[in-house]
Amino acid sequence: MALFSVFQTTFLLALLSLRTYQSEVLSEPLPWAPESLRVFINSTHQCLHLQWSVHNLAHHQELKMVFQIEISRIKTSNVIWVENYSTTVKWNQVLHWSWESKLPLECAKHFIRMRSAVDDAKTPKQSFWSNWSSWEEVHVQNSLGHDPFFVFPKDKLVEEGSNVTICYVSRSQQNNISCYLEGVRMQGEQLEPNVSVFNLNHVAFIRETGTNIYCKGDQGDSIKGIVLFVSKVLEEPKDFSCETQDLTTLNCTWDPRSDTGLLKQLSQSYTLFESFSGKKTLCKHKSWCSWEVAPESQEMYNFTLTAENYLRKRSVHLLFNLTHRVHPMAPFSVLFTDVSATNATMTWKVHSTGNYYTLLCQVELYGEGEVIQHNVSVEVDGKQLFGGLEPDTEYRAQVRCANANHFWKWSEWTRQNFTTTEAAPSEAPDVWRNVKSVQGHSVVTLFWKPLSKLQANGKILFYNIVIENLDRSSISRLLSIPAPANGTELNLDQCLYQIHVTANNSVGTSPASVIIVSGDPGNKEVEEERVKGMEDGFSLSWKPQPGNVTGYIVEWCDHPRGPLCDLQWKSVGPTTTSTVVSSDAFRPGVQYNFRIYGISTERVPYLLEKKTGYSQELAPSDNPQVVMSNLTSRSFTLSWKDYSTESQPSFIQGYHVYLKSKAGQCHSGSEKAVLSDDAVCCKYKIDNPKQKTFVVENLQPESFYEFLVTPYTSVGEGPHGAFTKVTTPDEYSPILIRIILPMVFCILLIMIICYLKSQWMKEKCYPDIPDPYKSSVLSLIKSKENPRLTIMSIKDCVPDSIEVLNKQEGTRKSLTETESSKATYLYLLPTDKSYSGPGPCICFENFTYNQAASDSASCGHVPVAPVAPPSQLGLLTSPENLLKALEKNYMNSLGEIPAGETNLNYVSQLASATSGDKFSLPTNPPEPALCSEYKMQMAIPLGLASPPSSGSSSLSSVTLLDEGEHYH
Amino acid sequence: MRAQLMRRTLPSLVLGLLFLSTPAMGSCLDKYQELLGQLQKQADIMQRTSLLLDPYIQSQGLDKDGLKEHCRERPGAFPSRDALQGLGRWEFLRTLDTTLGRVLHRLTALRRDIPKAQDLETLNRAKQNIRGFKNNIHCMAQLLPGSWETTEPTPTDPGTSPSPTPTSDTFQRRLEGCRFLHGYHRFMHSVGQVFREWGESPSRSRRHSPHQGLWKGTRRMQLSRKNKRLLPRGQLPR
Repeated sequence: MALFSVFQTTFLLALLSLRTYQSEVLSEPLPWAPESLRVFINSTHQCLHLQWSVHNLAHHQELKMVFQIEISRIKTSNVIWVENYSTTVKWNQVLHWSWESKLPLECAKHFIRMRSAVDDAKTPKQSFWSNWSSWEEVHVQNSLGHDPFFVFPKDKLVEEGSNVTICYVSRSQQNNISCYLEGVRMQGEQLEPNVSVFNLNHVAFIRETGTNIYCKGDQGDSIKGIVLFVSKVLEEPKDFSCETQDLTTLNCTWDPRSDTGLLKQLSQSYTLFESFSGKKTLCKHKSWCSWEVAPESQEMYNFTLTAENYLRKRSVHLLFNLTHRVHPMAPFSVLFTDVSATNATMTWKVHSTGNYYTLLCQVELYGEGEVIQHNVSVEVDGKQLFGGLEPDTEYRAQVRCANANHFWKWSEWTRQNFTTTEAAPSEAPDVWRNVKSVQGHSVVTLFWKPLSKLQANGKILFYNIVIENLDRSSISRLLSIPAPANGTELNLDQCLYQIHVTANNSVGTSPASVIIVSGDPGNKEVEEERVKGMEDGFSLSWKPQPGNVTGYIVEWCDHPRGPLCDLQWKSVGPTTTSTVVSSDAFRPGVQYNFRIYGISTERVPYLLEKKTGYSQELAPSDNPQVVMSNLTSRSFTLSWKDYSTESQPSFIQGYHVYLKSKAGQCHSGSEKAVLSDDAVCCKYKIDNPKQKTFVVENLQPESFYEFLVTPYTSVGEGPHGAFTKVTTPDEYSPILIRIILPMVFCILLIMIICYLKSQWMKEKCYPDIPDPYKSSVLSLIKSKENPRLTIMSIKDCVPDSIEVLNKQEGTRKSLTETESSKATYLYLLPTDKSYSGPGPCICFENFTYNQAASDSASCGHVPVAPVAPPSQLGLLTSPENLLKALEKNYMNSLGEIPAGETNLNYVSQLASATSGDKFSLPTNPPEPALCSEYKMQMAIPLGLASPPSSGSSSLSSVTLLDEGEHYH
Repeated sequence: MRAQLMRRTLPSLVLGLLFLSTPAMGSCLDKYQELLGQLQKQADIMQRTSLLLDPYIQSQGLDKDGLKEHCRERPGAFPSRDALQGLGRWEFLRTLDTTLGRVLHRLTALRRDIPKAQDLETLNRAKQNIRGFKNNIHCMAQLLPGSWETTEPTPTDPGTSPSPTPTSDTFQRRLEGCRFLHGYHRFMHSVGQVFREWGESPSRSRRHSPHQGLWKGTRRMQLSRKNKRLLPRGQLPR
């Protein structure tokens, strides 16, 4: 126990002494402290470069040390960075360390100091920090100019998305400065009284020429700014690859990816480094670079491609054997020799790639849609024989090569065309004929199909036709028809002929096609069958012939409706009894007729069968033109005989007759049908397509009907277009017509007779000289029932004078002219002695009717003036009564008289001798003044119809004058 | 965009045609009025900002409020209109030639800040136009009496150097370029006005009668044509 106490005390003392020693050592300066600390500024990169040295190191002594570096901003106490920098220090070595500031160095003062410690296992006792060096102040603002303010950092280059700190430094604290990013004001924070900073986060790429950031003073006249170059992130090159074509130069390519979008001087550069040779080259292009292959036959290459800009570096590596990256150049001098109709030899050369390389060449031959491929091993020259070619055919050959030992890439193709020579046609032309008998002769039209390219083996120049008369074998004829004719017409007699047709090109003649033609066309009457077309044509079959046939021919017209039939035919073998006939010319709705011929062993064709059909049946597009006849009250007949069933777009199976009536009842033989417009009608069905008349019966008299005739086929019926309207007559109208017509004829006959005998009738019924007994005056008098008043008979009147008026009939005279009319009076002395003195004398003046009244009838109402003034009536035996009657007439005539009633205005035939009629009396009439006179009745024109009264009767004169002519 | 391109290229084409008529054929127009009219037209076209200034402002991002107003000609960078009008004809032509020579140098310096090939093409066309214009100035000088070579260098406005030392500060350089181009277009506008005054009042400078100049110019032309045959195209006769 005592021993333990002694040991413990000794240990504590030793520990105490060691501690004391250590404190003594620390109090002394470290012999390897950093000295000569210098600070350099790189404003562009915002870097501080520190440079110092460590003294007291022995020669060749190396010491592992740690340097602790402290950086303060604005003031020394504001430490913003502390870093321990470990390195091995050698004798007399200058040490370097850099620090990049996020804040531009111009924005604030920076202070730097450092201390060191030995971190070396060899000297464990020295692992304590030295004293701090004195603070080194970095104050860039001192070196600025005299401008009122500055903006930093200048021309900084950053990557897109990074954070940037910007500041302005003002000379005066009073300056009110505002800063903008591309015209948008930024909000900053005060770092010092004259310094503000702006933190931009995740800056974006705007344009190649950089982003403008600028500050302006409150005066606005000074502006300072910077350009921030924002680069897109540099990407790693893709698809880096190297190859050689000639083993002397390597061509390396890569995809540079997206552009960094900077000015050329700031853009990235590409360098190529080969590690085995240690060579390096700066590439001039962004996506490829050339490398000279080492002459000492270096086989392996290890390339490093480095893309680098101010901010980033990207590298890719590639290791390869040169012989495995041979990309041969395209072959050249491709030639064709010994070209015949079926063979050709192709030769070519390849670029030399050294003596030890064999190339594998691939040859392709294109012709007539076929590709033939050959692989050829080549060292210097290549050769390939092509056989089995088609005559007169253009071929295209191409060749490419690759390294046979280590395939890398094929070279580019080298192409060349060649054409084989011609050969004689290999097949006989396909020949057919059409025979017509014209006036005892046969007109034979020969047709042949042009040979296909494979059969022709060259350009067909002409066709030879040899016509051999089999009945007279010695006679034959040769015709040469130049190509490209495909037929000819021959006039032959009724003999049997054998015709040989051959096709010829520049090399030779084809085999002959032989056909026998006789005067009989061989078109015996056979029944026509219907066939149904399919999508790909018509499937035709026929009965096999019992005898020997050498083949069959199906004949048809591609355009049966056209003026040119365009005869087609198809030859099949003797064992074939069916075929499908197809043609691009087949159209829906067109009827095609097929004839099937058998070819006998004597090569004589004979008709076997006829077929007809549509490739596709269509519904009829139009209805027949129907003629209606025999219309009775109970029936009518419909007829459409002009309707052609052959030219329809499908086989006509029959007709439907639609009949619409108001009754809506359908009789037997018809059925009710509902049309598309929901109209109900009766439908009669005609099953026979050849029946083209139909009698519609059981109709009602005097009824309205509508009818429509439409064909129907297997695919539908014709359009339900306009119905034809018809109305049945009544049952009696024909009878009536039989009665009325003779009656009308009779009446007309009577009227004609009356007209012809009108003069006789006039004289009988109403003569020119009126019968006073028929006068209205008489009736007027009679109406007064005055028996004393009678019409004076001429026999009772003793004439004393007769006035004869010399006046031309039918002439009208004006008023002035009437003056010249001179009246001639013939005075008749009374023979009766009882006559004493002046007695009543009656003078007749003919004012029977007034033409003016008739003429003006069209005016509607004509006021008719009284013709006889009251003064004239004084001569009447009973003036009062007569006056009354005339006044009544006068009033009537003043009133409105219907025009129709004024055609003939019968006025008084009595006139006084004292009347002022200018026609009647001279101004100085002979005595005796009072007498009766009689004047002829005549028509007086309106202008001349002056009243018989004197001018005092103005009313009369006005009313009788024409409307436009008023005389007073 | 197409319209903008048209605005830029059309005047250049017109200018090209104008230049073709004289220096491209290797000889000067010896008709004073025709040459004067051509110079007026050329100056009128070259004053258009759509030829240089507008594309420059757009490519440099200076088309922002707050920046555009600083794109103004620095006073004294180019001779003012008054200064030009106050010059005699010889002095005017000489000043014009000297100033445009400096402009050519400055345009060359501007190339480094122009990234787009299209804008570079515009710049190159403008330089060709200026060279052609300078040729015509020399032709005009031949029509004036006196000797181009013996004329004393004319003092111009103080500080009439259109090409201040380009600064390394990109932003400042950008603004300076803009101001310079603005001044250049304004200068050409003034030049056009002066030429127009020449046409309006040919007797303004009676010291140099055009007719007298014509005679002398013809004689000089004969000499210069001999020399020009040996000179490559575009090189000015001395």
